[in-house]
Amino acid sequence: MNKTDDIYYIEAVRNGNVQAFSFLVEKYQKLVYTLALKLLKKPEEAEEIAQDTFIKAFQKLGSYEGKSKFSTWLYSITYNACISELRKRRIEFKSLDDRQMSDQDEQKMHDYYRETRKEDQEKYLNLALARLPEDDQVLVTLYYYENQSMDEISQITGLNVSNIKVKIHRARKKMYELLHEMLKEEVYSLL
Amino acid sequence: MNKLDKQFEQMIKGVQIDSPSSDFTLRVMSRIQAEAAVQRKPILQNYQPVISKRTWIILIVAFILLLIYITVSSQNATPASDTGFWSTVSGKIGGFNNQEASSILKTGMGLFTSIPSIAYLILTASLALWTLDSVLSRFRHHSSEIQIGS
Repeated sequence: MNKTDDIYYIEAVRNGNVQAFSFLVEKYQKLVYTLALKLLKKPEEAEEIAQDTFIKAFQKLGSYEGKSKFSTWLYSITYNACISELRKRRIEFKSLDDRQMSDQDEQKMHDYYRETRKEDQEKYLNLALARLPEDDQVLVTLYYYENQSMDEISQITGLNVSNIKVKIHRARKKMYELLHEMLKEEVYSLL
Repeated sequence: MNKLDKQFEQMIKGVQIDSPSSDFTLRVMSRIQAEAAVQRKPILQNYQPVISKRTWIILIVAFILLLIYITVSSQNATPASDTGFWSTVSGKIGGFNNQEASSILKTGMGLFTSIPSIAYLILTASLALWTLDSVLSRFRHHSSEIQIGS
């Protein structure tokens, strides 16, 4: 068992070494926090939920069977905690409107985006991502950033795989549309 | 993943993800240490079962042997009818009009009347001790799952 494997530290915690859990906290804190922030929007609340996620994971570590990746299991705790929090606040996710960019336009938009300055790319991408519905932001982050498979995302969110596929596809197109709008505004402002 | 997906993945990976506060790990770990301390039960940490498994086996075997001995020896002896709890119970049953039912019950109870009362006391005490022992052992296993700062 490699020292970089999650299971090595999980076993260490199970054997009584509480401090070994800090490795898992260090490794996953950014993604757990990012997911919580995308759903809850407020940094203080996201941090609190992220902390609670790790405490819950520690308490439930005995029930983790290793059938799924530790990250998948951890993100599902995060997602469920955020959903319960949102339900308490009776907030519903926004939905994407049906207008969609064609694949050709998407390709053009991507090429145009690549030509913009590096620092602008990140700024616009963050803005576009933030304008997606909360659950779509989570799906995009898990799929494209964290490389979780559709099945794993299904385990985390409880959505079925075909629904996830559709949502990710629409979210990607929507992001290009948003980027297009933003970059168009930028060009106008320069003129 | 198709070409558009891959391009999009590259774009997304170029973005820095959010970070919690710098003392996040410290705060989580202090909460976890507190959690572990609550789960830990120091009083029961070094608890050892009062009676070992081996002793329990010996006691059970001895009790079974005692039962067999009493059963076999009572088959030739006259049933004790004047002493013990079961004698009283079977005597009361005898008062019923239904002779057949009471005789069947008497035969069944006769076995128990031949067991001295002290044997029942020992059995009850042993069961009580076993229950207490099991409960305390469970607490000990639960508390020893987590050790702090090791």
